[in-house]
Amino acid sequence: MDLLMTEEEVRFRDEVRTFLDGHLDEGLKRAERLNPSFLADPAIGLKWQAKLNDKGWVAPSWPKPYGGTGWTLAERYIFDQECERAGEPHFRGASIKMIAPVIMRYGNEAQKNFYLPRILSGQDLWAQGYSEPGSGSDLASLKTKAVLKGDHYIVNGSKIWSTLAHHATRMFALVRTADTAKKQEGITFILIDLKSPGVTIRPIRSICGTHEFNQVFFDDVKVPVSDRIGEEGEGWDIAKYLLEFERGGAFAGGVLRAMLTRLQRLASEPLPDGRKMLDDPLFMARFAEIATDVDANDMLELAAMSKVQAGGNPGSVPSSTMKIERSRIRQSIAELAASILGPDALRWEEHRPLHELPEEAEIDEERKVASAVYFNSRSQSIFGGSNEIQLEIIAKTLLR
Amino acid sequence: MDLNYSDEQLLLKESAERFLKERYNFEKRGKIIGSETGLDAGIWVEMADLGWLALPFAEENGGLGGGQVEISLIMEAIGRVLMVEPYLASVILAGGMVEKLGSEEQRAKILGGLMAGTSRPALAHAERQMGFDLGNIATTATKNGGEFLILGEKMLVPGGPFADVFLVSARVEGALKLFAVPADASGMIRTEVKLVDGSRASDLVLDNVSVPASALLGAAADTLAEIEAAYDRANAALASEAVGIMDALMDATVAHTKERVQFGKPLAAFQALQHRMAEMAVKCQEARASALLATLSVDAPRAMRVRGVSGARAKIGKVSRVVAQEAIQLHGAMGFSEEMPIGAWFRRLYAIENSLGTTADHLKRYGEIIRDPVMLSGSLLRAPAHWSA
Repeated sequence: MDLLMTEEEVRFRDEVRTFLDGHLDEGLKRAERLNPSFLADPAIGLKWQAKLNDKGWVAPSWPKPYGGTGWTLAERYIFDQECERAGEPHFRGASIKMIAPVIMRYGNEAQKNFYLPRILSGQDLWAQGYSEPGSGSDLASLKTKAVLKGDHYIVNGSKIWSTLAHHATRMFALVRTADTAKKQEGITFILIDLKSPGVTIRPIRSICGTHEFNQVFFDDVKVPVSDRIGEEGEGWDIAKYLLEFERGGAFAGGVLRAMLTRLQRLASEPLPDGRKMLDDPLFMARFAEIATDVDANDMLELAAMSKVQAGGNPGSVPSSTMKIERSRIRQSIAELAASILGPDALRWEEHRPLHELPEEAEIDEERKVASAVYFNSRSQSIFGGSNEIQLEIIAKTLLR
Repeated sequence: MDLNYSDEQLLLKESAERFLKERYNFEKRGKIIGSETGLDAGIWVEMADLGWLALPFAEENGGLGGGQVEISLIMEAIGRVLMVEPYLASVILAGGMVEKLGSEEQRAKILGGLMAGTSRPALAHAERQMGFDLGNIATTATKNGGEFLILGEKMLVPGGPFADVFLVSARVEGALKLFAVPADASGMIRTEVKLVDGSRASDLVLDNVSVPASALLGAAADTLAEIEAAYDRANAALASEAVGIMDALMDATVAHTKERVQFGKPLAAFQALQHRMAEMAVKCQEARASALLATLSVDAPRAMRVRGVSGARAKIGKVSRVVAQEAIQLHGAMGFSEEMPIGAWFRRLYAIENSLGTTADHLKRYGEIIRDPVMLSGSLLRAPAHWSA
């Protein structure tokens, strides 16, 4: 048992570092710093994705035959840490991390051949169609209807909280194809072309001032049967498979550590009155506590990874623990960063995306985005199965 | 990188848990702490027979060559049953110092006795003014012909009441050194102190205690650095002990709420309580992860060692307190009674929070390390030691 990299892994790390030094330019990094949201502004994200695609590094989590990298789990972990340290734009959203694994597992050959390359190249950007106005944590109560008519489904209803749907080309959606006694059984998984007639997208501005969420309406939207994933009524199983990827699949330690490092830089800068927060024992106590949380989360990730590497499963309690703690850590970093601002916290820049504004000193830009990052962080404990859902999962295991 | 236990380690874990479960129940512990000696000599011999007392020492010193991972497994099991015998004090802390600093002769004598179960050394380092500044030691050792005269006071020496030999730190012309002082040395007064968790320690007064020059350990060594490293090994062990206790509290709380019926249903059927227990489980998971980092950091370069060990003590101090408080709350009045182990686990965690540096001391020490942006931003994965890049 140890925390040592092999020599090969160290070489790999250095190779990644060299690539990032040479390709992740200041403009991209600045745009990401000024992005208060979970995912990058698509214009920025796609630019970075294109550079990585040339290198073959867009989707390290994919199996190699589909365009993945063929790296070991440890290499993927190291890659993620290095990308976060370098400040890469977070472009791996619903396309790469959610719908792609579903297509690989449940899609037919035609679907795989058509959709997966378009995801890698960035030609397609996918939005999620799970939640509805009346169905959040109780997802299986969803009502959007799809009625089979010849070789098409006719879809009517509405999906909400669809991240970046206004930029997306397609949406994967759970729809009701039958009214069954057990509500989970009548659900089907379909792929919707968002350019189809009958699709209307209403923007929802979030409390951080950014338009990332949407409500999407379907009014007699035609979806070919060939764009159904799996069988009719199989949607719930597929949905659960996808949620595994949304909740526990990826690494978050890198981004948490990168956020903490940014906070340290902010706290090292003298305030208008000459003080440095880093010299304030009250600040340092809070900061150090959060850092111990980040270390613990890193160890949970590495332990889970070790289990998977050995052919096991991390288990539901560690997975839900990570989901809960990652959200809390992110929130506490963002909250502590915002607490440094003093009266400047009252100033509010409305323009989005912020990176379009004229460039200022890095530290001033960090201060400009801090409130919005804090506001946005509140979503962390809600999406992907709220923390209350995670506590339910843990309690169920604990008390069975 | 690999964080899976080996089959041998899993076997050790299972046998340690089974042995202590059979031999060390809560009732028996009550008798031990109420007894005159405060120690079960029989179990100490059995631990020697099982090889636990030889576990961390190198094979060339007659030990079993176990690492900190093996120690952590023993400590978890010790935490669960709240063993009061001085495993940490004599084996990890004092034994570790002798192995690092002792001459071949000193190792043969002190470690040999320790591993055989006939000797229980204790490290007498802390003093009242020391706080958590390990170098702030006032005790002196003055050369007097072929011997040293040791003058000073040592406080709350762990394992003190059971020790036959003390490793006393003292300044020789300003430099910190360590001396082996027999418990019956003339001029040394040992006073037993009852501790908050039912265990015992000793205060020592050394009034020009005379020891021969051969009592000096590691004349040329950086003794303070070795003491700091020994404290870190012991603190990693304490972190694992706390994790064992937290798991025990968790298990007891789940069992209690499933059994206890109020308002016509088990307490465990109330969602308000389910979520509180789930939060306890989250904290147990985090603590386990932190303790593992501490365990795997003791041999790393100092900054990483401090990050791992003091970070774990800070984190575990905080979350273990919450788990213990919640365990009492969810047991209701039963948790408040000394008849139940809940309160004893609670008090042991409190003792751990105040042993070998407080939770706040460790947070501060950790904070000083992560002020360095390189440490803060660096991965927990390390390059191999021989890697020069």
